[in-house]
Parts: sequence; C-alpha cells; structure tokens
Amino acid sequence: MHSDKEALLPAPQNISIFSTNMKHFLTWSPVIIPGETVRYSVEFQGEYERYYANESWIPISECSFIIVTQCNVTEDISATVPYNLRVRADVGTQGSEWGTLKRLFNRNTTLLTPPRIKVIADGYHLLVELEDMGPAFQFHILYWKNGQESSVQKMMVKEITSAVHLDTVEAGTDYCVKVQTYVEAINRSSNFSQTQCIRVQDA
Amino acid sequence: RTGFTAIKANIQARDTVRTTSILSFPYSLHRVNSEDTCCIIHHLLKFYVDMVFKHCETEDSWVNRKISSIANSFLSIKKNFRHCHQQSLCRCGEEATQKYKQILTNYSQLNVKNAAMKSLGELDILLDWMEKAY
Repeated sequence: MHSDKEALLPAPQNISIFSTNMKHFLTWSPVIIPGETVRYSVEFQGEYERYYANESWIPISECSFIIVTQCNVTEDISATVPYNLRVRADVGTQGSEWGTLKRLFNRNTTLLTPPRIKVIADGYHLLVELEDMGPAFQFHILYWKNGQESSVQKMMVKEITSAVHLDTVEAGTDYCVKVQTYVEAINRSSNFSQTQCIRVQDA
Repeated sequence: RTGFTAIKANIQARDTVRTTSILSFPYSLHRVNSEDTCCIIHHLLKFYVDMVFKHCETEDSWVNRKISSIANSFLSIKKNFRHCHQQSLCRCGEEATQKYKQILTNYSQLNVKNAAMKSLGELDILLDWMEKAY
C-alpha cells in the first residue's frame, strides 16, 4: 500500500523496549502532524526470521494502526534469542519509513525485581503469600528462626498457589522469611525481597 | 510448548495426508535407544529449523506469530545443543543415523508444503518424547 509512495512522514524515533519481569513493552516518540491523526504499526523479527526466513518481518495485529505510542510485545518475544522490532507511522494512505530498535533485544536482559511477599503466622503454622508474577516464575524461599541465620531452611516453589505452607514452628518464637524469583527460561534470579519477620503465638 | 498447543488443532486440520507419518513411521520415536537420544534430538532440531518452519507460512497472522515463537524457541534450544555436539557428547550411532534417514525419506515422499505442515502437526510427538528423554 505504501511501498511505492514517497514516504513524507518522518519515521518514528526513540524506539526502545522496557522489559521488567518478563513483560516487554515497545515504546516510541509520537510523530506530530498538526491537524492529523497519526497511526502506528509494529512488526517483529526473531533470529529465526533473520537467518532462516529471508529476514522476514511479522506484523503484530494488536498493534496495527494504533494511536498510542506503546505496544505490549510480550506474547511475541517468546524465545531467548535476539529480536528486532520496527514501527511505521501512517496518516491516511501516507506511510513513513520504518523506524527500528537501535539494538536487538533478548529477553534474558529483562529486569527481575524482588517479589512482594506477606508472611503469616497461623497458629503454629508459618506461611508466606507470594505475588503472582506469571507462569515463567519460580520462587526460592529462605526462612529461619530469628537470630539463627546459620540454620536457614530452603524451599523452591514452581507454581503459585494461594499461601505457601513453610513449616509448623515453635510457639513464642520469631521467624524470618525472604524470597527471590527464578526464571528458568533465561536462567536468572532476582535479588531477594526484604526480610520479613513474624512472632508465632505463645503456647 | 504453549505456542504449539495454541495452534495444534489449526495446523493438524491442514494435514490432508492422513495415511502416513513423518516422525513415527515405521518406528515410533519412543523406541529410540537412550544413548542415541542426544543425536536424534540434535538432528531433529536442525530438521525443523532448516526444512520445516520456513514452509509453514499460513494466511493467518496469529498462527504465523505462533510458528515464529516455536521456530525461535527451537533455534534457542539448537544453540544449547550445539555445545553438546561440539564436545562430542552427542554420539550418533548406526541406529540413530538410520532413524533420521527414515524421517528424511518420509518427508521427501510428500510435496514440501504438505510434508512441512505434517511435520509441524506432529510436533507434540517430538515434544512428548524430548520431555520424557530429558
């Protein structure tokens, strides 16, 4: 539709990816044309397309002819290989050149933040509620009796349930817990959460 | 796996040749000796990346995005397997070589589009076997 038309519109600039906890968002600066509604379309290219499929590009239908300057590309950045992404601006039948990422993006560079946790003492039972961060996330839980950091107990949780039962513990003692996430697909962990301590009821 | 599960029915519906199999004829993958597993997986990753995915483009943009997801995941796994192959941890015995030749023969019996679409439709056979093997 546009290939043979001279591209009068400037290509979108400042195209970048913000990726946190395996959620990836493409953003770019708006193209300003007074009195016109500018629409944008996004396409992606994985390493497979670059080397095995004639450098082809794949449109993201949810981000075709959109008005906002952001696109959630999480669904399509679904392998741990370098991806390229590009954005084009359209006004009516006029289209700009494609603007592309300055550097290829690999999801193994995503920012992993410590999980939010809530420690619960239910009678003599020590539990922890974990933030649901999606199927890619596992959790390394460390817990110990306050003051006995040398005897830390470890637990690995692969799937989020409601609250995780850690242990049945002694009455009238303080227990501490901290948790980090682990993403197997990129073989990386977050930093640990803040340590939370709680007193178990007296006998 | 999730990418394939999402399009499995769509892809298998496009497989018009029901009387043969690419991966399972005449012997199932599940009858491969354990010491040949690494070699067969290495060969099949290459087979899918080099010969299958590129012939599987459809008119459905969403299906194409899922195929891209699978293809790039295979590429990522293939790179991991390359280390094993380079350190000759991935020995190819006679049976593994024959098994792979049989798969290529099955593939060449059909026209490339049908063969590629059938191979993609049989991906769960491969994934089930790979998960069991490792």
